[in-house]
Amino acid sequence: MRRNAFTTFHPIVNFVYFTFVLVFSMAFMHPLFQAISLAGAIGYSILLNGRKAVKFNLLYMLPLLLVMAAFNPIFNHAGVTILFYLPNGNPFTRESILYGIAAACMYVTVIVWFSCFNKVITSDKLMYLFGKIMPAISLILAMTLRFVPRYRHQLSVISQAQRSIGRDLSQGNLIERARNGLRILSILTTWAMENAIETADSMKARGYGLPKRTSFSIYRFERRDQLTLSIMIGLVAIVLTGAALEENTIRYFPSVVMKEYSLFSFVVYGAYFIFCTLPVMFQIVEEVKWKYIVSKI
Amino acid sequence: MEVYRIEDLSFSFPGQQKKALSQIDLTVSSGEFITIIGKSGCGKSTLLKQLKPILAPHGVSSGTIHYKEAPLSEIDHRTQASEIGFVLQNPDNGIVTDKVWHELAFGLESLGLDGQTIRLRVAEMASFFGIQTWFHKPVSELSGGQKQLLNLASVMAMHPSLLILDEPTSQLDPIAAMEFLETVSKINRELGVTVIMTEHRLEEVLPLTDRLIVLDDGCLIADDAPRNVGKKLHAMGHPMYLSMPAPMQIYTAIETETMMHTPLPLTVKEGRQWLQGKFRYSAETSGLHDQKDGPAVKLQQPVAAEFKDVWFKYEKNGPDIIKDLSFKVQKGQFYCLVGGNGTGKSTALSLLSGIVRPYRGKVLLEGKQPASMKVRDLFHNFLGVLPQNPQSLFVKKTVELDLYEMLSDSEETMEQKKVRMDAVSAFAELEPLLSMHPYDLSGGEQQRAALAKVLLLEPTILILDEPTKGLDSFFKEKLGLFLKKLNAEGVTIIMVSHDIEFCAKYGEECSMFFDGGIVSTNTATAFFAGNNFYTTSANRMARHLWRDAVTVESVIERCQTSL
Repeated sequence: MRRNAFTTFHPIVNFVYFTFVLVFSMAFMHPLFQAISLAGAIGYSILLNGRKAVKFNLLYMLPLLLVMAAFNPIFNHAGVTILFYLPNGNPFTRESILYGIAAACMYVTVIVWFSCFNKVITSDKLMYLFGKIMPAISLILAMTLRFVPRYRHQLSVISQAQRSIGRDLSQGNLIERARNGLRILSILTTWAMENAIETADSMKARGYGLPKRTSFSIYRFERRDQLTLSIMIGLVAIVLTGAALEENTIRYFPSVVMKEYSLFSFVVYGAYFIFCTLPVMFQIVEEVKWKYIVSKI
Repeated sequence: MEVYRIEDLSFSFPGQQKKALSQIDLTVSSGEFITIIGKSGCGKSTLLKQLKPILAPHGVSSGTIHYKEAPLSEIDHRTQASEIGFVLQNPDNGIVTDKVWHELAFGLESLGLDGQTIRLRVAEMASFFGIQTWFHKPVSELSGGQKQLLNLASVMAMHPSLLILDEPTSQLDPIAAMEFLETVSKINRELGVTVIMTEHRLEEVLPLTDRLIVLDDGCLIADDAPRNVGKKLHAMGHPMYLSMPAPMQIYTAIETETMMHTPLPLTVKEGRQWLQGKFRYSAETSGLHDQKDGPAVKLQQPVAAEFKDVWFKYEKNGPDIIKDLSFKVQKGQFYCLVGGNGTGKSTALSLLSGIVRPYRGKVLLEGKQPASMKVRDLFHNFLGVLPQNPQSLFVKKTVELDLYEMLSDSEETMEQKKVRMDAVSAFAELEPLLSMHPYDLSGGEQQRAALAKVLLLEPTILILDEPTKGLDSFFKEKLGLFLKKLNAEGVTIIMVSHDIEFCAKYGEECSMFFDGGIVSTNTATAFFAGNNFYTTSANRMARHLWRDAVTVESVIERCQTSL
């Protein structure tokens, strides 16, 4: 994975950010807000995944957007501005085209944000966040993540051993193969149970089961996490105020209605822009600083 | 200060008349390094587990164990967890979580420490054990040695005053084992932690040991400094003496009269000094005549397996694992491949059994390529492979059923099957174990049961991957004799091993594997005589006098003839 400034923040900061950005992207259908969020998402996904993200966005997201935008007016006939009538007699309206575009845009934005979420919130961070809520679940997750590769490895060991006595999955006719497969699974199960007893011993030996277990993490909530979190909360507060004053809302049917622009609405737009492009900005700032430091040496 | 006082401890498993431990009396003082030895199944592990009640198996016990003046049964779980550290045999089973840092913190989380304290202790331990470089790694990417170090570190993070280790190095290769034992010794020396461990690698562990305890069939038969225990075992004529370090065995065989009054040599260095003093004048200048018996002893035999300029890599752009490997194994030979970890030895075996194909060159088994042979032709009456982990072969509830299962698809009658079964179980000495569950057998017994299973396919070429891993000297010797017997019956044996002593004793021809190819090949004796470092300890001790004296027996013989 490429190094990215935003991923180095505390998981809570990452998580809060993604929660709000996803909720906002789903809730605000205002075209400007959608554009801002989509730009932020695409920008960040490219920073995170590089060429792969460009490919993903062009190859899958763009067609998805176009298809969804085109399909809405074919099936949705609400709206007052009728452009023409479809062959089956239904009206084709401007509002439904706009709504189609908006809905498709929202959908794509959320998917792209989720692709960023997947990169940033790694299993470690997810486990930490879970652990904050339910420590037991977080331990189970950690143990599962330990056992899955282990079992997979053992499965290949067993399968190789069985192969060397002529009883592998790749040998014999269909029934024999099925039987061999089951046999390998049964060996794995016996093995897993036998060894789980020792693992349980190792847990007991290290005091598992004592009351008041704590959950340790390597993440530290640093001052910059505090600062970033407060900035984020400030921006969110502005955006939410805007939402309460209906700056971010839009009505599509029967006719498109948006609130008139005012000074405050630009404040809200600005706040939302900063919020959506935060990860990208962090990266740019860090890179500029780095270049500056290097150039000084 | 006394850490443990064990008085008259006996223990038997439920439903068994025989006592697993009987009348053990033992005191352990703070800061001691105690090693417990004994044959597999002599009660070593049972004794260790009695010292940490939360791990103690069910059963009937009598006698008392005091921990720091208080009866052990009154020590609560929390104290036990933090003060008595326990490291298990299998490094994989000890690890619970998926990340190194999390594993280090596991015990501390259980104790309910706060984040700051855990952070400090984890940092301390990672630095002490040199774990910083792989601190963030997932556990699945570690080597066996690293895993066991991690187990040790995560126990040490709880700041125990006592460390109990149950054969911690049995699953490790010699280099990782040495490193692990050094670390344990460092913990004992620098942190003053009391160490009680069971171990098979006496050569390495005895120099570190303060007190050596020998168990035999649940009874404590010796408890003294290692050198004195050596004398005692020798005087008793006890079979455990054969697992003592080579210098000690050689010394007692030669100095039969004075040995009771002088300290026995423990290390190669001490053995060498003694030999030098004793044979200063009588030493022959040897090392010349060993060149003549090269590998050309049995050239007239047909070739069983052959590698012809073989190259292999796992991935297209990956590194070459096998580089221009060529060698021949003649029919009826006992061929050993020795060498360090990651040199490609196991890959060579995979090539040999047709699991993978070379991208250049040829692998031939009696002139045929194993990778393109039909499975039935390859593994029936032709090639037998004994996997490193015998557990991966067992399917049934008892050893007997497991052996019958191998014959399930043959067309023989029940009587014929019975005859073959009896023959193979007699050969592998499995008769008393036939009704047991394969997992309940000891490591050496499991190995023999697995070998019996493979032998039922009547292989003419037998491939073994690290067969001595985790075996004690007694079972090793037994395995060696079995392999010799098979070899005498005409089975070609190709073995990969780290175990130099084993190869020197039983192997016929040895090759040193390094960096994907073979560096040197020779008959076992000449091979080890030609190496300076990569050779048996008996040879390292005596090679300045007799270069080709490789085994303990041959050094003793040379000493006797030179006296």
